Amino acid sequence: MKRLLTIAAAVGVAMSVGTAADAADRTVKIAGFGAMSGVVRSFGINTDAVLRAAAKAINDAGGVKLADGSMAPIEVSFDDDRCNAEEGISVVRRIASSDAVVGVGPTCSNVAEPLFGILQAKAGDEGDSGLQFPIFTDTAIKGGLAKISEWAFRNVPNESQMYKSLFEWLATQHPDAKSVYGGVEEDFAHSRFTWYKVMKTRSADVGYEVKGESKWLLNDTNFTTQVREMKRAGADIIAISAHPFTTCGVLKEMARQRVKYKVLVGLTSSSSLETLNGCAKQAEGIIIPTSFAPVNPDAVAAADAAAALGGSADLHSAAAWEIMMILKDVIEAAGIQATADSVEADRRAIRDGLASLKTTKGLLGEIQRTDEGEAVKPYVYVHAADGSWAVLHDPNA
Amino acid sequence: MSDFWWQVIDSVQSVLDGMMFGSIYALIGIGFTLIFGVMHRINLAYAAASIGGAYASLAAFQLLSAPAIVVFLCAAAASGVIGYLVYICCFRFIPTEMPLATLMASVGMLILIDEVVVHATAGMPEPYPAMFDDVMIDLDPFWVRGDLLMIFALSVIAMLILLYVLYRTRLGIATRAVAQQPSAAQLCGIGQERTNAATFVITGALGGLAGAMVGASVGILSPLLALPLTVKGLIVTVIGGLGSIPGAIVAGILVGGFENVFQYFRGVTERDIYVMLLLFVFLTFRPQGLFGRISTRD
Amino acid sequence: MDFYYGMAQLIGVHTLLGLSAYVVLLTGQVSMAQAGFFAIGAYLAGMLTVLAGWHIVPAMLLAAVASALVATVVGFPALRVKGLMLVVATLAFGEAVRIFWFNFDYQIAKGNIQVGPLGGEGFKQIRYFPENGWSTADVAVFIWAWVIAAMIALWWMDRSRVGSVLRAVGEDELAAQSVGINLTAVKVSAMGIGGFIAGLGGAIYAHYTTHIEHLNFGVVLATFAIAYPILGGLSSVIGVLIAVIFIQGFLVEVLRFMGDWRNLLFGALIVLAMNVRPDGLFDARATRTLKRLFGRQDA
Repeated sequence: MKRLLTIAAAVGVAMSVGTAADAADRTVKIAGFGAMSGVVRSFGINTDAVLRAAAKAINDAGGVKLADGSMAPIEVSFDDDRCNAEEGISVVRRIASSDAVVGVGPTCSNVAEPLFGILQAKAGDEGDSGLQFPIFTDTAIKGGLAKISEWAFRNVPNESQMYKSLFEWLATQHPDAKSVYGGVEEDFAHSRFTWYKVMKTRSADVGYEVKGESKWLLNDTNFTTQVREMKRAGADIIAISAHPFTTCGVLKEMARQRVKYKVLVGLTSSSSLETLNGCAKQAEGIIIPTSFAPVNPDAVAAADAAAALGGSADLHSAAAWEIMMILKDVIEAAGIQATADSVEADRRAIRDGLASLKTTKGLLGEIQRTDEGEAVKPYVYVHAADGSWAVLHDPNA
Repeated sequence: MSDFWWQVIDSVQSVLDGMMFGSIYALIGIGFTLIFGVMHRINLAYAAASIGGAYASLAAFQLLSAPAIVVFLCAAAASGVIGYLVYICCFRFIPTEMPLATLMASVGMLILIDEVVVHATAGMPEPYPAMFDDVMIDLDPFWVRGDLLMIFALSVIAMLILLYVLYRTRLGIATRAVAQQPSAAQLCGIGQERTNAATFVITGALGGLAGAMVGASVGILSPLLALPLTVKGLIVTVIGGLGSIPGAIVAGILVGGFENVFQYFRGVTERDIYVMLLLFVFLTFRPQGLFGRISTRD
Repeated sequence: MDFYYGMAQLIGVHTLLGLSAYVVLLTGQVSMAQAGFFAIGAYLAGMLTVLAGWHIVPAMLLAAVASALVATVVGFPALRVKGLMLVVATLAFGEAVRIFWFNFDYQIAKGNIQVGPLGGEGFKQIRYFPENGWSTADVAVFIWAWVIAAMIALWWMDRSRVGSVLRAVGEDELAAQSVGINLTAVKVSAMGIGGFIAGLGGAIYAHYTTHIEHLNFGVVLATFAIAYPILGGLSSVIGVLIAVIFIQGFLVEVLRFMGDWRNLLFGALIVLAMNVRPDGLFDARATRTLKRLFGRQDA
C-alpha cells in the first residue's frame, strides 16, 4: 500500500499544472489544443504553427493592451488530444486549471461535441455546474455545435450557406447539368452531416434532381460496388462528402470505371494538401468551397508566417490565425488584467466580449457572427488545377 | 435490360470484385495462421507491420522512382525486417508460458508501428504505385479490374512459393517440425529460436506483400488501414481453421466475396454485421474452421 | 484542482472497464467484448436519464443489468471455444454491438433541440451531472464510490471460495471439472459479472463525456479493457487500478512534457513493460495460473 501511495504521489507531482503568475511580467496565455497524433496529425501541426506565427506577429507589434494600459505579450501553448474525447476533456480541464484565459481548438468534431457538453450551457446559470472556460474552435466543423454551450465559439465556415451558393453558382455555369449524385463516408459524423443535411438538401433547394448516394466507411478500401452504383445513376454533378483518404480511393476507382460527370464537388475539409498529396491526378477539377485561399496580401502574409514555422495555412488553420486576431481585439476591448487573481473574471470578460461580437475581421473579408457562437465566413470556390488548389470563383468579388 | 438482370449482373460482379480483394485478406490470414501454427501465439502487430513495410517501400518509390514491382519487393523485404523486430521485442524474451504478456506486447507494437508511420508522414495519405491500374478487361456484361487481377495473381504466386518453402526446403521442414512437436524437434537438433525467428521473417515478408497489394489496389496508403486489416485477418484465420494455410486462403476469398455481396444487398452500414454472423455460424457449427484439425499439439 | 478531479473520474471509469475484463480473465477467457457491454451500458443509461428523465442511480443499475443479461447470453456460445477462437468471437460480438448502435436512431424533441441517439452522428447532450449542479469533485466522489464498491466486492470474492473456483477454472478446466465444478455455471457467471461492471462503467462514461458515438466503442477500447488486467497483473484487483493509472495517468498525462515523443513512447513503453514484467506490473505470481491456456487449443 505504501508503494501505491508513493506512485500516486509521484503521479500527482508530475501532473501538477502551473497556477502562479508573476504580477511583474504579465502575459496573456492562450492555450491551443488539437490532434498531434493519428491520421489527423497534420491538422494539429498546422494549427500549432499558425498559433505561434500569429502570436509572434502580435508580440512583434507590441502585444496586447491590458485594462491598466500596459502592454503584455501573448504566450501560446499546444496540447495533443489525440482526437480522443476523453483526452480532449482532460486537456481542457488541465488548461482550465492553469491561468490560460481562453482555449483554441480542437481539431476533431468528435472531441468538440463532448467538450462543449462539459461546459456550462448558459453563462451565469448557477444551477449548471459545467466548466466556465471560453473555447474558440478553429477546425471542428460538424454543423451546429457551438449552440451546445454559451462558452463555445467557432470560427469555422458555415457549410450550409457555402454549398447553397455553390450550387446556385453551378446552375448558372453549367445550365445543362440537371442532377446530383452523392458519395458519403457514412460512419463519420461530419461527412454524414454534410451530405444529408447540407449538400443533399441544398442542391435540391436549388432545383437539382438528387439521384441518391453511395455510402462507404471511413477506413474502407474497396469501392467497386459503390462506384458502380454511382456510374449507373449517371448524374451530371457528383458530390463527395468524405475526407481525403476515402475521397482519393473513390476518385481512383471512378477513374478506373470511367465514370462520366460534368462537375465534381468535394467536402470543405478535403481542400487541403492531403488530397493533392494522395491523388492529384484524379482530383483534377474537383470544386470545393473554402473559407481560405491566399488571395490577398493579408492572407498571403499569414500563410507565409505559418510556413516559416513549419505549418501550412489551409481553411482550418487559417481560422486559427483569425481567432488570434479576434481574441486580441476582444481582450483589448474587454480590458482584462491578466493577473493570477483575475483569471476567472478575465475568462468571463472574454466570453462576454466574444458573445457580443456581430462581425469580426477575417483574412478573406468581414466575418458575421451568429447568436449561437457560429461564424458566417466569406468564402471562395477553389478547384484542383495542375496539382494545386486555384481559386475558381470569388462570390464576393 | 430489365432492372432484375442489372441486379443479377451487379451482384455477380460484386462477388467477383470481393473475391479478388479477398486475396489480400488471405495473405494476412496466412501470416496469423502460420505464426499461430509455429508458436501458438497471436501476433496482433502483424497487419500493422505489413502496412509499415508498405510505407517503408514508399522510400524506394519516392526517392528512386523505382517500378511498381520493385516497390512491392521492397515492401516485402522491409516487412520481413519489421517482422524480425516484432519477434525480438514481443516474443523472444517473454517466457513462453506467458501468452497474455506476448499478446499485450504485440498490441503495444501495433500502436508503436502505427505512430511511427504517423510521425513520418504526418498522417497524410500517400500515393502508392500500382500495376495495370488502367487496364479494364471487358467481359461484357462483366469486367475485371486489371490491377485486382494482378494482385490476385501475385497473391497466388506468393502462396505457392510459401507452400514450396514449407514442404520442400529444410527450413520448411524445421518450421513444421517445431509446429507439431517443439520438444521433439529440439531433440532432433532443430533450433527452436532460429525457426521461430525465421517464421516471423517469412510471414513478415508475406505481410509486406499484402500491405503493398492493399496500397496498390486502393492507390493510397494510410495508417487507417492497419486496424480493419487486423480484424479481417483474424476472422479469416478462425474461419479457415487455426494453423491451416489452405484454410486461410479459401476463407480470405470467401470473406471478401461475402462482404461485398452483403454490401450490395444490405448496404455498407450493415455489411460487417453479416461478416460477424458468418463467423458465429462457423464457431457454432464448425469451430475447427474450414480445414482445421480438432487438436493440434501435445 | 478541477483537473485532478477530472483525472480521478477518467481513471475511475477505466478502472471499471478493466475490472470487467479482470473477472472474465480469471476464468482464463480473454474477452474482447467488454467494449460492447460498455457501449450497451452507455447508450441505455444515457437514454434513461436524457429521454426518460430518470435519476442516474436507477438508470445505471438498469443499464448494468441489461449489459449483464447480454453478457450472460454471449457467455453460453463462448463456452464452445477458447484461446484465439474466443478472442476473435468476442471481438466480433463487440463489433456487432458497435454496428448495432451505428444503425440505431431514436430521437425526441426536448426544448428546441432533438435529443437521443442518432446513428452515425452520435448521442449528444447527456448532461445529467452539470444540469443538476454536481461539481467535478461531486462526480469524482460519486464515481469512486462505485469503483471502490466494485473493487471491494471483487476483492472479497477473490478471497472467498468463489474466487478459488474462478481461478481453478482458469488454471485447469479439466481438473476443476473433475472436482465437481460446473464449468458452464462458472464461466457464464464470470461473463455476467463482467458485463454488469462494464455496464456500470459505460453508464458513467456516457455522463462523463456527455456525448457518445459508436466509434468510441471500437476495437481500441476493447483492447484497452483487456490491457488493464494483463498489464497490471491478475493477482488482485489492485493490479487493474495500477495499470489504469500507468496508462491514463502516466503514459497519457505525465509524459506530456515529452511533447511529440509521448505518442511514440506510448506503444514502446507497453512493449517494454511486458518484457520487463511479463506477469504484470503489480505482484507477479498469479499470471502463472493462466499458462498454456492461451497458447493451447484443447479439444
